[in-house]
Amino acid sequence: MTPSLSETQLDALRELANIASGTAATALSQMLAREVEISVPRALALPPADAVDECGDPEQHVAGVVVPIQGDIEGMVLLLIPHEQAEILCALLGVEAHTEVGDSALREIGNILATSYLNGLGAMTGLELEPSPPHLHSDMLAAIVSTLLIGTAGADDLALVLDSELDVSGDPCSISFLLLPTSGQISDLLAPLGLADPSA
Amino acid sequence: MASARMGEMMVSRDSNEELVALGLGSCIGLAILDRTAGVAGLAHIVLPESSDRADQVGKFADTAVPELIARMRSAGATERRFETAIVGGARMFEMSGGLDIGARNEAAVRAALSRARIPINAAQTGGSSGRTMKVAVGEMLVTVREAGQQAETLLEGRAGRVAAGAGAAR
Repeated sequence: MTPSLSETQLDALRELANIASGTAATALSQMLAREVEISVPRALALPPADAVDECGDPEQHVAGVVVPIQGDIEGMVLLLIPHEQAEILCALLGVEAHTEVGDSALREIGNILATSYLNGLGAMTGLELEPSPPHLHSDMLAAIVSTLLIGTAGADDLALVLDSELDVSGDPCSISFLLLPTSGQISDLLAPLGLADPSA
Repeated sequence: MASARMGEMMVSRDSNEELVALGLGSCIGLAILDRTAGVAGLAHIVLPESSDRADQVGKFADTAVPELIARMRSAGATERRFETAIVGGARMFEMSGGLDIGARNEAAVRAALSRARIPINAAQTGGSSGRTMKVAVGEMLVTVREAGQQAETLLEGRAGRVAAGAGAAR
């Protein structure tokens, strides 16, 4: 069972997410030759049903890019891109959306963003974190998020979600960027910061 | 609209109510109707086995199915009149080492219904797409919809039944 996390621990996770998503935003900015803004990240430790609600409109049609993490901790990085905005993103990259090439471009964005995010996370924690090949799936937001949370949280009462929003300036294009650590791995993420103990 | 989220279930006899399970992926939506009593129930089941956990009965197929049946009965429904539909159990991601939770969920819900001797009248399960399930309590209509698709009827509403009955009588 996932123990509940203290405010200090959630703050530390938020700070990790902040720095790591900064690294990802830089990578996206270079890829698109546009400025990319990041929102203040959130660290949520919630029952899975609430965590799904926090991710957005359950029925919104989104492209989800999943990058499983290999290495010192298990889990996954998830990019959620609203259906229409995936088209804008593909256009910025000069490819057509909903084609083989368009899908492959979205997977590549996922790959690059996840790699830089994990590099950022690794640099701060000293953990070895490698991305596995990305998967792309277009579907209702809740179907994607709930299915993945069942994979990471299992039968646990709480799921941990670190999320931030990347906004591409000049276009209505934003990507939700989520880290879903497998339960039991959260203390490994906090241990290098000396915060593994929930009473910290 | 009343939303049954992951691990939640609801039973209603309010004819203006609509019960929904939004974005079912590997989860299973189980709808039970008793048209005569005007009672409908919906459970959003997450995992196959409770492994003897007593809390969160709605989350696990082996505990959620008997609980939904019991709540239907408390609301005045009778088991021999039950009509059921199941939705979900998709395998959305082909990830290495990932167990197919969707298929296990479906098998566990089917097994639990079979133990209770309740037949399944309609199903839209498996595949790789998420689905939304809706139960209109007044009409006794159960529908399912995939992302970007039209809704399909799983259990026909009262109006449809009456029309079919009238046709048969001619």
